[in-house]
Amino acid sequence: MKKLLLATLVGLFLLPALLGALELKISGEMWNRWTLEQGKVFADTSLTAYKKEITKNFFSLERGYVGMEAKFSQSMKGRFTVDIFSSDILKDGAGLKLKYAYLDFSNLIPIPDLTTTVGLQKVYFGSIYDWSYNLIGKAPTDEYKYANSADYGISLNGYLPGGWGEYQLGMYNGEGYKNYGSNLKDNIDPAFLANLRIVPTAGLTIGGSVMTNGSERKLKLADATENSSYNTQLLADGILRAAFGPLDIWAEYLYKDISYAPNFSAKDYSATCFSVFPTLKLKSLIGADIDLQGRYDRSDETRMPDSKKKNLLNAWTGGLNFNFMADDSGSPALQAQLNYVRKDYDEDASGTDYANGKKDTDIVMLQLKWRFASTIN
Amino acid sequence: MNKKYIIVALILLLAISFAVAKSRKITCSGSTTVLPIAQAAAEAYMDKHPDVNISIRGGGSGVGIAALQNGSADIANSSRVMKAKEISQAKSKGINPTPYAVALDGIAIVVHKSNSVANLSIAQIRDIYNGKIKNWSEVGGPKLPIVVISRDVASGTFEVFNEKALGGSKVVSSAQLLASNNAVASTVGSTPGGIGYIGLGYLTEEIKTVKVNSITPNTKTVQDGSYPLARKLYMYTNGKAKGDLGSYIAFIQSDAGQKIVVEQGFIALK
Repeated sequence: MKKLLLATLVGLFLLPALLGALELKISGEMWNRWTLEQGKVFADTSLTAYKKEITKNFFSLERGYVGMEAKFSQSMKGRFTVDIFSSDILKDGAGLKLKYAYLDFSNLIPIPDLTTTVGLQKVYFGSIYDWSYNLIGKAPTDEYKYANSADYGISLNGYLPGGWGEYQLGMYNGEGYKNYGSNLKDNIDPAFLANLRIVPTAGLTIGGSVMTNGSERKLKLADATENSSYNTQLLADGILRAAFGPLDIWAEYLYKDISYAPNFSAKDYSATCFSVFPTLKLKSLIGADIDLQGRYDRSDETRMPDSKKKNLLNAWTGGLNFNFMADDSGSPALQAQLNYVRKDYDEDASGTDYANGKKDTDIVMLQLKWRFASTIN
Repeated sequence: MNKKYIIVALILLLAISFAVAKSRKITCSGSTTVLPIAQAAAEAYMDKHPDVNISIRGGGSGVGIAALQNGSADIANSSRVMKAKEISQAKSKGINPTPYAVALDGIAIVVHKSNSVANLSIAQIRDIYNGKIKNWSEVGGPKLPIVVISRDVASGTFEVFNEKALGGSKVVSSAQLLASNNAVASTVGSTPGGIGYIGLGYLTEEIKTVKVNSITPNTKTVQDGSYPLARKLYMYTNGKAKGDLGSYIAFIQSDAGQKIVVEQGFIALK
């Protein structure tokens, strides 16, 4: 609660300064969710037999984004967003995460349609940066721990002339927005990112991202011994999107290659994930603003060195979104979402520790999402 | 016949009837500058085609473009050209923004009718909006503080004014940011020290238009491009406008439609 109070006080302190901006927009969104999960768990201490049981059944505020966007001039604007939530950290009733805090400069480098972003910002890797949560679940990149959705750094964000696509180049901490303290300070290896999306014709998008990163901060520990956890990562992503009429299909392929220091080379491994997520918008067909959602993921971590953690997952999601209020631009302001997720782990290819010991699961999630945005200055 | 085939057929019939019914309705959203042209043209068009229903909303060019991207509008009215970012975002969603010029306009610099200032240079306008010039006496007018009135950033008129007059520089923080041409016209009309900018179609007797670089915004200077704040007004559709949509836009571009454009105070394309 102290953190929440602190954030409120900081916000109140900043408000007069921000009110001097050319334009100040306040926005937010709240995700109230009911989650019901049934999974296979060990039936007894022998850890050999399983039984099915309800493992989760709760209501929560999964996200409570509150943010401010201040336009200081035509070429400079800032964004500040905090996430207040109840699901991850229950201490004092709510957790608080700083999600975004950055400045955009649109004329720092004299290239048309290029913005330089400095601060805690989006990570432009794969589908994670424009994942709009049409499905309740996270983007594959986030879900299967390939990259973080936000991180501290600097990036160049540009658009190709004539609407042919977009590109980003970025340098980040590589630790993600949840990291803090010594984890950040001891990191001597920044992550480097390049992302490109081409739109050759309306409805067709082809894209790819590459990111290099160092994990577990540094190779040498304080006593000059080698850090066995230190590794370098090569992350790659390919995206294909086809949006024609009411149908919008994304396909995404993720690859990561983890390399440890020479003395620990036995641990080197790679992992892949393939996802498809189609959307069928029914509004043009039946008039009602309803979207049908689907998703299939195949995450392959069978080459992990720790045999207990390796896994091969097939996950299917079916969802329905009902948008029952929209703002002036047609974006939903109130949205009800129903998702069913089935996760199947290949028994032969998966170890004992994956998914925190929980085996195949069925999850039903019902979520009411509401958004608001208002220009106050 | 099997019952399930009947149900499937009924659902298909329902879907087709919805689709057909929808094709007779046209939704427009966006620029408040283009709004009077779209409204007057829609009324004239619906008189001739009573089976077509055209609904029009304002909100600003940015709002209209976002509505086209989201599929919630058939036409985005815009007083500026779309940006590379907007085109890219639209195309990735399967929307192919296609521009149709429907009128010409000059952004008129307006002051209170009692103000003696008759001409301003682009540099003077920029300095007024930047806050460097604070009193009308600095540009040959009365000893009166200048009240800067501007448009909100969703406005296409603002974007064009920003590009052509301000060169991207910052508007003074004390400026009043208003959401429509009408609001700017009425506020300037009731504020002796006021200065604002609006589309030609919004000029009233309560406000005075000043020349820019000694050029008056009129049909000749806007059509030949000599007026420094001249621009085109657009309607954007998803791909080539066909059916009722194409017919409505073709009507606006026709002689009859361009007559409406002039009646609304704007400049015909030719």
